[in-house]
Amino acid sequence: MSDVLRTLREARPAELDPAAPIDEGVRRTELARAMATPPASGSARPRSRRLPMWGAGLAGAAAAAALVVTNLPHGATTPDARRQAPSPTRTLDARTVLLAAAEKADGQTEATAAYWHRTAVSSGYFQTGPAGARYTVVVRQKDETWTPAKPGAKAVSRQQKLGARPAAPADEAAWRRAGSPTTFKLEVPVISRAGGTLNGGRALKPMEATTAPGPVRTSSSPLVDGDKVFWLGRNVTMKDLRALPSDPAKLKAALLRWYGGHDTESTSVAMGSDQWLFQVARGLVTTMPVRPEVRAGAFRMLAGLDSVRGIGRIRDAQGRAGDAIAVNEKTRVGVLRHQLIIDPSTGDALADETVLAKPITGDARPPGFMIASEAVTATEWTPTAPH
Amino acid sequence: MGDEASDEERFTAMYDGCRQRVWAYAVSRAGRHVADDVVSETFAVAWRRLREVPDPALPWLLGVARNVLRDGHRAEVRRESFAAELRRWAPRPTGDIAEDVAERLAVLRAMAALPEDDREILVLVAWQGLAPREAARVVGCSAAALRVRLHRARRRLVRAVEALPPDASGTGTPAGPPAGTRRPGDGGALRRAGRPQMGIISEERS
Repeated sequence: MSDVLRTLREARPAELDPAAPIDEGVRRTELARAMATPPASGSARPRSRRLPMWGAGLAGAAAAAALVVTNLPHGATTPDARRQAPSPTRTLDARTVLLAAAEKADGQTEATAAYWHRTAVSSGYFQTGPAGARYTVVVRQKDETWTPAKPGAKAVSRQQKLGARPAAPADEAAWRRAGSPTTFKLEVPVISRAGGTLNGGRALKPMEATTAPGPVRTSSSPLVDGDKVFWLGRNVTMKDLRALPSDPAKLKAALLRWYGGHDTESTSVAMGSDQWLFQVARGLVTTMPVRPEVRAGAFRMLAGLDSVRGIGRIRDAQGRAGDAIAVNEKTRVGVLRHQLIIDPSTGDALADETVLAKPITGDARPPGFMIASEAVTATEWTPTAPH
Repeated sequence: MGDEASDEERFTAMYDGCRQRVWAYAVSRAGRHVADDVVSETFAVAWRRLREVPDPALPWLLGVARNVLRDGHRAEVRRESFAAELRRWAPRPTGDIAEDVAERLAVLRAMAALPEDDREILVLVAWQGLAPREAARVVGCSAAALRVRLHRARRRLVRAVEALPPDASGTGTPAGPPAGTRRPGDGGALRRAGRPQMGIISEERS
């Protein structure tokens, strides 16, 4: 056998020819699945953890007792109905809420340890059921992470799907009328980056959900580049994070340095920078182990943004009441409201939520439909992480 | 944020250009039962990390597929699945066949007897047509190290062909490499999907 490599090349099965056409159905499915979640917008940025596993491990086979979600009009309920405020008359303006939170944060102390441990429950909301009897299902997942304080250590994460269930009492009634199915065949809207309308710009990706919780899975991984722990417009190390300034103006300048690659002198920063600062800051206050005075600085910085407004006292998906602030974002799928719920007694951020404030024509979901929420249930420094 | 339309166009072009190669790589590592899964997961990762994908994208994508395979499918499963694939490609000859055909079948069968790492290098070079530098990127070693490994893999392939029984029957389960023959450097830096990594804010849009 004179040239075994040449023989091997010739022996390649024809079906492995890279020029073989891709089956159109396969192509459509795979593209839709891949693009089911928004792409990361930063370079070299650690994977976003904001939404649970819509994109991963979707079972291909259809389940029994499945219900197909469609985009027909006449949604049965408005999930916002669940959010009856304990004292609806009280609507604090954003500045008052944020400055009070800053005061509380300033008063906090912390003792750092080897790992920053965070527990959160994320929820995604989907309509299901036949036209005229539609209801909303919430699919929840618990996420725990242990982020090492020192470079070179591994980050540990633990996840568990908590199961799907009707979102609100009215949804539960509709679910019972539908025979109380334990399996839902949901179709997750997929954002097409090109189109502008529901039909032309949105596809649906199948997702199955059951009422049963899933197993607890623990995994660990090295840090990105060995030391990057979070994303703040760019990947940052724990040291970077701990070195952030507490003065709101300095903090804003530090964050804006990483905004779209522009410095603070750039004229192109003005457009959308409030939006961007809000998004970065909500990550900072809900997720990251910044010093308490930096969290206070972040609240004060947000208080200085014109587009941030107070929307009153509401409850998060865990039923906890807090004062909420919000900004709106216009997108191809309508106006989204990003809201942050703050516990006035501690100054802690309770939850980070996205609401469909104004759907586009053809979307079955009513205005005020909760799309996703993440409730932070615990954050602490801890000396150890699970293996 | 960012130019969304061009993200999608870029991703779709990358998918169209590389999908079959990623699939072929996965099939030749672990058979078709595993390959579809691997392709789906690989492109989901590529979409999420689109801004990190270099041009040309193929070595990067194959590197992701490699990690997906390693993390998602145990070595025995990969080996058995590949063995099943091989039986499709190289069935037992049923009569006289031309010498060149026999030679190709023999090489395919010999592939099944190689350690997984050897097979991977050979597939990347001979079937994917990657240059040593590109193949090195996929497996995470230097181009020089890859040349050495290719040389050794080629030598072991020749030996494996010579060691085939005279009737060259490829039936039954081909001998696989010993389990757990993983080399240092097998652990890539790429992360698997679904691992919460505290980035903030990809704005969910319904």
